Amino acid sequence: MSDKDDNDIVPQHALMQAKDAKEVLSEMHLRPENLPKIFSTDPQAAKLGAKPGDIIKIKRHDYGNTYDIYRLVTEE
Amino acid sequence: MAQKNSNIVEYGEPVGMLAAQSLGEPGTQMILRAFHFAGIESTIATSGLPRIVELVDARKKPETPITFVYLTGEYKRNVGKAEQALKRVSEVRMGSVVRRVLENFSKGIIKLVLDTQVLKANELTPGQLAQKVAKKLEARTKVDKDGNILVKLKTKKLTEVRSISVKLMKDVVQGVEGAGKAVLQKDAKTDEFYIIAAGSNIGGIMEIEGVDKSRIYTNDVFAMHRQFGIEAARNTLVKELDTTLREQKINVDKRHLMLIADAMTYSGTIKGVGRHGLSGQKQSVFAKAAYEETVKHLVNAAAFSEIDNMRGVTENILVGKQIPLGTGSVRLAIKKEDMQKVKPKK
Repeated sequence: MSDKDDNDIVPQHALMQAKDAKEVLSEMHLRPENLPKIFSTDPQAAKLGAKPGDIIKIKRHDYGNTYDIYRLVTEE
Repeated sequence: MAQKNSNIVEYGEPVGMLAAQSLGEPGTQMILRAFHFAGIESTIATSGLPRIVELVDARKKPETPITFVYLTGEYKRNVGKAEQALKRVSEVRMGSVVRRVLENFSKGIIKLVLDTQVLKANELTPGQLAQKVAKKLEARTKVDKDGNILVKLKTKKLTEVRSISVKLMKDVVQGVEGAGKAVLQKDAKTDEFYIIAAGSNIGGIMEIEGVDKSRIYTNDVFAMHRQFGIEAARNTLVKELDTTLREQKINVDKRHLMLIADAMTYSGTIKGVGRHGLSGQKQSVFAKAAYEETVKHLVNAAAFSEIDNMRGVTENILVGKQIPLGTGSVRLAIKKEDMQKVKPKK
């Protein structure tokens, strides 16, 4: 799939570096397993080539607000 | 900015319960099945309370799946082009173009009497159909002088001939399988054409030329999940809940709906709110036992030496402790390094 296949309803997904992920987690006082999950077979995760254990950063646009949420990649 | 910050929810606020009540209370006021003819899409689609229940329970297939197919380039401006795209999307089954099926069991021949009017409307010819049937069944076909199709089968067995002819009726002769019947609509605001299909095979529809892949949308949450992933499913849930409530002129803050959608998609798949979904995953033994099948849960917990951390609301009410919400969510803790300063008494 190429970029132009992206649907407007899909927010921007980005794979996080292990270092950045650790920083974010310590800031929020969370362990990775506390995060919402995304399957490695999910179309967006598969597009990024994410492996179980990775953390994906999602830029959401809700209600006029833009914020980041994080999902932990797990196996289905 | 100060105004905004003062409105932020405080730590320990029971947001989930507030969301549940905010959706539950207006739900009691909703009309069961409303009839309205504001637009074609709203007349076919399930609306009101049944639709909310369908979404919140995470039913695998919605009662009335609908797909909005927007078009690209000249397809969205030109009527002829738009109709071309419509024809490629709209699902036409063999059963709807055939008026009568005559089976000759002794010769192993199926005669298909075609409905010429339907055929004309879909711009199909008997020859095209005969070719499709021949390819599908690997049998010899012929068009007779009245425009009927004769299919010569290899078998003469009664049961086989009948099962072939029944299957043949379900074959898709034109359009995308699972796309359903589609109609062309014109957007009054942007003056462009778009297609409304009564199915949710968005994967198939996206392969059609002229379809705008970035704007295709269906009310089937699971179809969106399969095609675009969990975040798209979450956004679809919010959008569908919001539009359903708005249709009935019920004002529920979108943030409640967002929280519900977030909770439903937390695990990576869509889970319903209920015993088999979110509520069924409670960690606490007491909370599960307090709901249904009390003895079974307690016996199981004893047999497998389960541990109850007493973090939830139900179990704390059960034993008469303060619930861990609001003021109750504050607990006393001591830093590790401070522990060393404390000298144990002898």
